[in-house]
Amino acid sequence: MSHADNNKKMGRGTIGLLLVAPPVALVIGLILWPVALSVIDTLTVQTPEGPGLGLAHYIFFFTDGFSLRNLWLTIWVTAVCTVLLLGISLPIALYLRFSDGRYAGYVQTVALFPLFVPSILLAYALIRTLGPNGTVDTLLNAVGLPKIPSPYLTPWGPIIGLVWDNLPLTLLIVLAGLGNVSKASVEAARDVGAGRLQVLRHIILPRISGALMVAACFVILGLFSAFTLPWLLGPTVPEMMGPYMRRTIIDVDAPTQARTQAVVTFLICAVFAWFYVRSVARGRKEGAQ
Amino acid sequence: MMRFRPDLRGLLIAVLLSVVILLPLVNVAVWAFTEVWRWPAVIPQKFGLRFWGDVLGRGDVWQALRTSLALSTIVTALSAIICLPAAWAFARLDFPGRNVFFMSFLTVYAFPKFGLYITIATIFLGLGLIGSFWGVVLIQLVSTLMFMVWIPVSAFQNVDPRLEEAARDVGASPLRVFWSVTLPQVMPAVSAALLLTFVNTFYETEVAWLIGAPEVRTVPLLMIRFINSELVVQYGAVFSVMLWLPSFLLLLVARRFLGAQALGRALGA
Repeated sequence: MSHADNNKKMGRGTIGLLLVAPPVALVIGLILWPVALSVIDTLTVQTPEGPGLGLAHYIFFFTDGFSLRNLWLTIWVTAVCTVLLLGISLPIALYLRFSDGRYAGYVQTVALFPLFVPSILLAYALIRTLGPNGTVDTLLNAVGLPKIPSPYLTPWGPIIGLVWDNLPLTLLIVLAGLGNVSKASVEAARDVGAGRLQVLRHIILPRISGALMVAACFVILGLFSAFTLPWLLGPTVPEMMGPYMRRTIIDVDAPTQARTQAVVTFLICAVFAWFYVRSVARGRKEGAQ
Repeated sequence: MMRFRPDLRGLLIAVLLSVVILLPLVNVAVWAFTEVWRWPAVIPQKFGLRFWGDVLGRGDVWQALRTSLALSTIVTALSAIICLPAAWAFARLDFPGRNVFFMSFLTVYAFPKFGLYITIATIFLGLGLIGSFWGVVLIQLVSTLMFMVWIPVSAFQNVDPRLEEAARDVGASPLRVFWSVTLPQVMPAVSAALLLTFVNTFYETEVAWLIGAPEVRTVPLLMIRFINSELVVQYGAVFSVMLWLPSFLLLLVARRFLGAQALGRALGA
């Protein structure tokens, strides 16, 4: 390679670095730095000899009944939502992939529709629909049935809202997974006499377990950072981690406690985040080829 | 062989989904055009546009709209200035650390978002950026990074370099090549990413509420007020319909240029 070529290559490399510097700086300054600072700060305790390393903040969190109840509620809501979302998405995805039913187009359109509804508008719509004297009550009353115990301001409020909100993307991930299961293999199994459940268990599920895992990870990450829906639709005591963290930093004005709570959610989500990020990175590589 | 089989399973799924997904939305739409609807009537006693006039006459509605439009425009413009050249560099130039930097945007997905906002907020508290418009802009920028870099990178990579070389061979300057050959081909994906950024920022509630409140009053924050402390049901309903229609149309445009998966990830994450 000639000297001039070499210089040109160096120059292009420098230009490249300069162009990508601003967004990378944002990642470092507003993601890595705050997270690192929070980890360091929450591991620091004040001793008579000055600041030292210690777990006092975390011990406080995990012995504080109030914090634990909020964490427990978050885990419970997350678990229920994950099961519900997978349980709802799978039959819809199976229908869309394997039956040439005449409603497939309509089902897909309606199931993806929540993508187009911002969660703040959803919260309002759900309160009007499921709240006291809402539409569901009106309809039940019209056919002579008693009112429902309203899920508004109970943990079921956010659960319904979060399932509604997360359905499209869960469905899309499961559908993408089902794309790897050939119709021929399902038909072959049916031909040798396998029932619907057997086909599902032995042919389909093993091949989409990865996709289901990614979908679950996506849902779990989303629920641990849910704020708007739990805050507007859920109970105040106990409350989910999102509203709890905001209360701690803004109303209680205890930034270190809020940081501890945030780092706890990071740790709980670490495994799921790793799976999810890995799948996005892989999808990206396949897409690039 | 032709056989007629009623698609019962499909019908069941279609009906259930319609009820669960569409009922709340139809409900809001009906409320928006209702003047009197007393329990327990199934159909409102009186339809009308009276509350549209009321909502459009409120100063706080216009102020929230102005704030949110300014916020979305600024975030989209800054994001474009910061991310699009970087996307081009990732697609076309070779430089040390290229893959590491490219993958670094994945950290946006690696933390539960609200926890991340909390850690940023603890720093902003010290800097006095809580309640500041530019504090909100800064965090919003971060949440747009992922798709404002990744979607355009794919678009730049899909432009056939032979076309650009051909243009250069017949004497076009690099700038001219970029303007007349490269840009038209990446425009669909880039405009989809811009639309997503705009709509996402417009409806973003959590950063606005955590960092912006009470000084920065965006549209979602006004909606929170309608939900929490407004006795007139119709205000929220009218506001919802008014806000939802334009965003729906914009997202439909974005959907034409982007796969459902990419759209879903950009909106859901």
